[in-house]
Amino acid sequence: MTLDFGRLFGRTLLLSVLALYTAFAAGPFAWLAVMSLRTTSEITADPYALPTILHWEKYPQAWFDSNYGTYFWNSAIVTVASVALLSVCGAMAAHCLARYRFPFNRLVFFLIFSAIILPPQITIIGIFQQLVQYGFYNTHLGLILVYVAMQMPLTVYILEGFFKRLPQDLFDAARIDGYSDWEIFWRITVPIGLPAIATTAILNMIYIWNEFLFAVVLLVDDNKRTLPLGIQRFMGDYLEDTGMLATGLMIAVVPIIVAYVFFSEKMIQGMTAGAVK
Amino acid sequence: MALAKRWRASVGEGQAWGAIMAFLLPALLFFLLFTAYPIAKTIYNSFHIIRPNRPDEFVGFGNYAQVLFADAYFTQSLVNTLIWATVAPIVDVTLGLLLAACLYARLPCARFFRVAWFSPVLISYVVIGVLWLWIYNFDWGVVNTLLRALGLGAWAHVWLGDPNTALWALILVDAWKWVGFHMVVCLAALSSLPREVIEAADLDNCGWFAKLVHIEIPMLKTTLVSLLILAFIGKMKIFDLVWIMTKGGPLWSTETLATYTFKRAFEWSTLDLGYPSAIAVLSFVLVIVFVLALSWLLRQRGRLEF
Repeated sequence: MTLDFGRLFGRTLLLSVLALYTAFAAGPFAWLAVMSLRTTSEITADPYALPTILHWEKYPQAWFDSNYGTYFWNSAIVTVASVALLSVCGAMAAHCLARYRFPFNRLVFFLIFSAIILPPQITIIGIFQQLVQYGFYNTHLGLILVYVAMQMPLTVYILEGFFKRLPQDLFDAARIDGYSDWEIFWRITVPIGLPAIATTAILNMIYIWNEFLFAVVLLVDDNKRTLPLGIQRFMGDYLEDTGMLATGLMIAVVPIIVAYVFFSEKMIQGMTAGAVK
Repeated sequence: MALAKRWRASVGEGQAWGAIMAFLLPALLFFLLFTAYPIAKTIYNSFHIIRPNRPDEFVGFGNYAQVLFADAYFTQSLVNTLIWATVAPIVDVTLGLLLAACLYARLPCARFFRVAWFSPVLISYVVIGVLWLWIYNFDWGVVNTLLRALGLGAWAHVWLGDPNTALWALILVDAWKWVGFHMVVCLAALSSLPREVIEAADLDNCGWFAKLVHIEIPMLKTTLVSLLILAFIGKMKIFDLVWIMTKGGPLWSTETLATYTFKRAFEWSTLDLGYPSAIAVLSFVLVIVFVLALSWLLRQRGRLEF
């Protein structure tokens, strides 16, 4: 009887610790969401009150007073193009490294993979000079190429690990049936590896959508800025206007939260793909 | 046509060089053009003074000498980065593991907890930075409001304005973002442990904590080690959060190698890319040495134990 009581007590304690941590992890977002529906004067009066009137009109206001439409569009172009390139080129390289035996195979793999540890400052100055020199500075194309190179190591690493585990019989059979090298890749590896490719696509999408440093260095025009730069700009414009700033931040967060509500498992799996074996 | 196909089928995989090159070329091109070449360029820069519209001036190890021996800001940012990169991984992984062990104890709503705790991982540092600027706000921020509500108003503090607390305040934000990530990875690793071992421990009336220390941690060692190394690499790159929240201030107390390089290269009008390149090369060497040493050390210990 006492044992059960102790167990119950332990569980209650554990649950309350977890609830506390949940408040810590998700609380800031809830606070942000509440503030986004209140005006600055209401927030100044009491930063933690719930909204009395829901000021939905602040959303269109924030959207139209800033350049958010452009920033979203720019981020979408850059992200989609980079992820598409990464998925195709990364899958091709991973397929090659996983399926073909040739000298220097492991060396090439190690070389590409080791780029994961590079701190961004070692490439950023050189990339800046290079893009300025060849006229790709301040263009989306330049940024896309840089993002593809930045995420390539992790993409190849994850896909190679997955492709390597596909049964070799499948490929031997295809070869006997007369499939060409390209057909083997396109009609066997890609369809079977689609879940892994989708996982890396999600991972890359989130990283690139949120990327800040390279975008700051490589883009200058306001109408070329991606969303993180746009938020920073918005932050500068509305620094004193807490309510409006909260609405602006919320606009930037909502798409990710909505996607997360529907695809939470897939997104968690994608983000942790490099670390989980 | 048919002949060509039959020929190909008979050729061993070792000889299909054309196909190998075609598959590898795009990725290799990206690697060479946007990773290897910029690194070479940066190394070249670091031995020169690089000014726009003027020939590069060779200075040998001049930049390095100045960075290492005459630049107090560099030393400060190095120390800050190293503190961040050693403390934060330990905090992140420990908390992540503890939370994972809690969820592993088959609690109600484990799924909900997992999804909620992971959410900060997905949000950009820019949004997180602004949000935490408010949380640390002196007058109405959450931290000080809570302290005052608990009657500890005397502890209320300008967290980001004081050089003694600013770095720790940022490390806390960073931990807030990444603990969920480590929790998910640890949970996945825990779930893949053989059930019998855990059940045997349960039968022996092994407590929750004893089970964690004596069974789960030793069995998860590989995962934990790779998490620590990955986190270390990640923290050595930290830029966004600092840039949004403090820009390296106050008094250089949150300057990191990345922000300092960025300032010297693009923010201050020194118009010289050589000096920041030397800083970049030094941090690059530092990361490589640390990662190699860390993985060697941890593998060495692993070998001794088994």
